[in-house]
Amino acid sequence: MNTSAAEISSYLKHGDYAVAVRRTLDFCLDSGNDALIEKAIIWSMSYHEHEKTGLEKTLPGDFIETAEIILQQAAATGGGNNEQNKQLISAENISKKYNNGSFSLKPINLSVNTGSVLGIVGENGNGKTTLLRCLAGQLGLNNGVIKYHLLGKPDAYAIKNHIAFIPQRIPKWYGMLKDNLHFSAAIAGINGDKNNLMVNFMLERLNLSSFAHLTWDQISSGYRTRFEIARILLQKPRLLILDEPLANLDINAQQTILTDLIFMAKGAHNPMGIILSSQQLHEVEKVADEVIFIKHGKCLYKSNDSEGKITSNAVEFETKAQRESIISLFGEENIELQFNGGFYTIVSSALSSQQIIAKMIGAGIELTYLRDITYSTKRLF
Amino acid sequence: MLPSLLQKIDDKLLRNKPGVWAARTHLVLYFTMAFALILSALCYFVFFDAKQYSHVGAWNTFVVMIAMVGFVFWMIFLLRFNVFKRFGHWSAADGLRDFGLYFISIGAMVAVCFVPSAVETLRANQQFGNEEIVNDINELNINACRLEYNMLPLVWEPDTCRVVDTLPVVVYSDSGVQYESVDGEETTDVAMPMPVNKINTIDTAGLRNKLNNADSVIKLNDSTYVFYECPTYMFVGAYNSDKYSKVKVMNSADIYNSVLKNYQKPDRAALLKRMLELRNKYGVDDRNYYGNYYDNNQETSYEARIKQKYDFGRISNGVNNVVQKKYEWTENWPIYLRIFYYATLLITLLVFIFRHTKAKTFFLSVLTAVLLTILTGLIMVLSYGQKDISLLSFIIVYYAVFLILAVSVFKTNVRTAVQGIGLNLFLFMTPFIPLVIVSLYLEIQQRNLFNNPEMDRSYYDSHLYYLTAEIAGSVILFILLQPLFKKLYRKWFAAPEE
Repeated sequence: MNTSAAEISSYLKHGDYAVAVRRTLDFCLDSGNDALIEKAIIWSMSYHEHEKTGLEKTLPGDFIETAEIILQQAAATGGGNNEQNKQLISAENISKKYNNGSFSLKPINLSVNTGSVLGIVGENGNGKTTLLRCLAGQLGLNNGVIKYHLLGKPDAYAIKNHIAFIPQRIPKWYGMLKDNLHFSAAIAGINGDKNNLMVNFMLERLNLSSFAHLTWDQISSGYRTRFEIARILLQKPRLLILDEPLANLDINAQQTILTDLIFMAKGAHNPMGIILSSQQLHEVEKVADEVIFIKHGKCLYKSNDSEGKITSNAVEFETKAQRESIISLFGEENIELQFNGGFYTIVSSALSSQQIIAKMIGAGIELTYLRDITYSTKRLF
Repeated sequence: MLPSLLQKIDDKLLRNKPGVWAARTHLVLYFTMAFALILSALCYFVFFDAKQYSHVGAWNTFVVMIAMVGFVFWMIFLLRFNVFKRFGHWSAADGLRDFGLYFISIGAMVAVCFVPSAVETLRANQQFGNEEIVNDINELNINACRLEYNMLPLVWEPDTCRVVDTLPVVVYSDSGVQYESVDGEETTDVAMPMPVNKINTIDTAGLRNKLNNADSVIKLNDSTYVFYECPTYMFVGAYNSDKYSKVKVMNSADIYNSVLKNYQKPDRAALLKRMLELRNKYGVDDRNYYGNYYDNNQETSYEARIKQKYDFGRISNGVNNVVQKKYEWTENWPIYLRIFYYATLLITLLVFIFRHTKAKTFFLSVLTAVLLTILTGLIMVLSYGQKDISLLSFIIVYYAVFLILAVSVFKTNVRTAVQGIGLNLFLFMTPFIPLVIVSLYLEIQQRNLFNNPEMDRSYYDSHLYYLTAEIAGSVILFILLQPLFKKLYRKWFAAPEE
């Protein structure tokens, strides 16, 4: 379990109810107690019903008490995760060249464990999707080997049963959304009452219950992504590959979905590895255990390999201050100042990021945006 | 539109048997049964008069159209969920189960198309009993003879025949008809094949035939017979009308012996009244060619006059309609069974293939089949030789190629369209290959017999051969579906693209 009952109680105490509800659901799922999960679903539904009224701050009467009971029971049930950090997939020198195009993916090595997240970043048309499709078993390799460590000697069908791939353009669903979720759970072997329970859980967990009886055409693209994630999670994949999952999500949903995925990946219910590509560097870097930067089909940067190799620090910021005043503050010999039309970037070997930031604040420079990008792939764009 | 029980079943299947739920057989059966019931009720009231001409063809067309709409609806709206294409959990017999469910669904839709014909037969059997119709035919003929006794010829025509061992063989030449004896000795300038003095020459086969068919025979000596043929006293009749009846239709000799030989004057008024009743019972409302012919023809023979007087043309048509409708299914059930089975099997194979392959590969497979048919046709048109044998040989060669392409799926790690096409066509042809091989074998046998008359012409039952091949094809498909075809599709479909 990656969230403690005390942590959730703290969320409740400080009024972070939405997070508390999500974490409580995860907590109960990890306990493996169906009765408790059902209880948590009902409790979550009451919160979401209440939320719809627009009176989030005034909770249902027994909301906190029920939460405490659920948390106590879940904590008493225990549950655990014996599969964390097991190697899931490793790719050795995999490369791919299309027969009818000039693009080729140069040899890449990577590895993903259960509970870990690998982020793949890069500009459009540089091979992110090709790499993901190779890893998902959708494209044949020209060279190299992909090993699926939990499967032994799998055939292609078993690999695709083991891996879930969410493409950038999600294929349309037909029929009622809820039926699709029931179907996905059923083909993953979740039958009977358990099927109902898990579908209701996933709908509640991703806050989709009120859309369950709609059809694909009746929901927005952001909700389509959420439903697709719900569907995929019901199939209990061991490796989840997402191609630009944040593209259709609003700024709040981006962070929520990503952190939720990480929580679920690290949970005891279905520990899994995640590989995702995105243009949202900050969001990806925040949750990923490792980030790979690809340009022209070649892996130019791997965050884990570059640790200790960074020789300069970088800070990105936005200000109305003049360029000259910033240079004069640091001295031209100590920093390199770049401006891309929107943001300034200070690169310095002599000063740490903290020193750069402190100096600017100390000098009274008005900063409207600030980010330490010393270890970010942003520097490679 | 679904009753609550069916909704519950649907819900339960969705949660517990997604493969069964995805085939939607339960919905297809419900809707086809509902449609069949409505259709049966409608047909039951429309087909109230069995003596009229059948309109079942138009009804069948209408029902086929409805069934096609139902099939399209099933394909587009109901078959959206696919466990196989979603890489769902694999059970040991899901290939067979899916094929069975598709067969049942499609079979139900095909079976509905037979409802009008079945109801028509049911109605005809309800309206007319097997013996009733034979008795009525006999009564019509006897009454006509009794009413028109004075018009009838009562002398039986003799036919004197001499039996010989071998008849002359007729050969044709440019100059006219010539006769040649069996040993090849040619005789010319014979104008007539018939013997003189009205004595016909027949061989022993002809004798057997005449003995079977003659109404009366006098044997003059060991080789000369006089056959007597009774004049026609049957004015109404229908093919197979007494085939399933305990009572038989009386032939002219029977009528002569029972009525005309010892003729007694009838009560004409009663007979005419009865004839009118029977005319109303069997006479069709509208007329076809024969009806008009009998009404308008200028023939003066006793037969023509009697038929015209009592409206026997229309009555005969009515009797024929009734008999045809009554025994349609009894007579033709093997044909209907084959139509049902092959229509269902063909569509099921297409649906099964469609559900296990990429849409693009499916349509490429159809295109390949069409192109190969055109190519084969062209080759056969441009070549000289045994057309049937060539065609069958081509089919076997194509099958071998598809088989090799399909089996090559086991050896490759990427998915190619060519292999997919091969696999699709390999599966599609498999149930029919035993039929093709048997047809080829029988064609070759026929040709050998034609070329070598001295060959042993031991009797063989081609129907049995074909029936065995038909059953064998289905059994082979049944045996190979799970262990071979499903595995091939699993390997091919899941393999990465090239």
